[in-house]
Amino acid sequence: MYVYGLVPADAQLPSGLKGLGPSGKVSTVVHGDLAALVGDVPTDRPLGTRDDLIAHETVVDTVAAETAVLPMRFPAVVEEDGVVEELLAPHHDHFVAALRDLEGCTQYTLKGRYEEEPVLGEVLEQRPEIRELQQEIHGLPEEATYHQRLRLGELVVQALEERRDLDADELLGALDQHAVDAVARTPGQPDQVVDAAFLVERAQAQAFEDAVEEQGKRLHGRVRLRLLGPLAPYDFVPGTEDQWDS
Amino acid sequence: MTVATQRQGGGNGYVDRGGGGSSSLADVVELILDRGLVIDVFVRVSLVGIEILTIDARIVVASVDTYLRFAEATNRLDLYAKGGKDLPGLVQGMTEGGAKGKTSGVLDAAAEKVEEVLTPRGDEREPEEAPRRPRRRPREREE
Repeated sequence: MYVYGLVPADAQLPSGLKGLGPSGKVSTVVHGDLAALVGDVPTDRPLGTRDDLIAHETVVDTVAAETAVLPMRFPAVVEEDGVVEELLAPHHDHFVAALRDLEGCTQYTLKGRYEEEPVLGEVLEQRPEIRELQQEIHGLPEEATYHQRLRLGELVVQALEERRDLDADELLGALDQHAVDAVARTPGQPDQVVDAAFLVERAQAQAFEDAVEEQGKRLHGRVRLRLLGPLAPYDFVPGTEDQWDS
Repeated sequence: MTVATQRQGGGNGYVDRGGGGSSSLADVVELILDRGLVIDVFVRVSLVGIEILTIDARIVVASVDTYLRFAEATNRLDLYAKGGKDLPGLVQGMTEGGAKGKTSGVLDAAAEKVEEVLTPRGDEREPEEAPRRPRRRPREREE
């Protein structure tokens, strides 16, 4: 049985949910105050196609638009008896409390990326040593300047990362007040400014979106922002990360 | 390549929008494979007899490549700055086409890679264990 996520037992499911199994059905298995969103599993093929991933995400996010949900990480397959016996029953109170904390909230994920030309222009303007190195290399064949070019790139990346820390702090500082909680991740690429998730009360969603738009306007021409959401609270599921360590 | 889905009002559109059913595949992959409740922390028996495709959607760009990419971008900027004097049209064209193409290139490649990996192609793929799962040691069941 495929498990998409967990919801409060009294949650009203939106109509038209389409699962990844052959029947396409999504239903609930209820235990106490808790319910699992479940569906069938394709048995004639491996799980993990593009459509499977999108079906999982769409089910969870559609439900999340109306009710608190703890999204499962893809893929979550349990034997039919296991849903209650192993998932819902033993952790009932823990999950119910987690859902209560998420009640009324939704997640937004914000990503930002530097516009390459203007920001590299800033870097060159403010860092004479980078400009000098660039002049030194200019016009020389690539093969002859491999090490200089490597060094140039390294300096540029460092400069971008310094800049990003400042820009990210300012950006997060401006949005924090509209969110219940926020988690920022270290961006994987030097020209990424921010990769952060915000837990926002549904009543505050519009205010949050407006605040993001405001920041987009402020940063226009330097940073391109991208906002995902409203989403299920993927980044605010309790007891995942810290469990590996404790 | 930007998935600028201007859903719902959203004002003047300084911010690209996605999510809630309109996410790009790369976004979806990141959300549902990296985050969320992990079932085998809580459940002893899972994934019984179910094959899972190997999905490694992470494109790791080695730092050398990253440095060279930014060096190249920086050098191109120089051409652009000087371009006004000699070859304005040509150089400008190169800069725009080249620079934009380059920056988004990595992401496009990532998205294509993801699609490639995820598009079902019958049996040529070897099903393996769940993605990334083995890297994290599942803790003993919580009581």
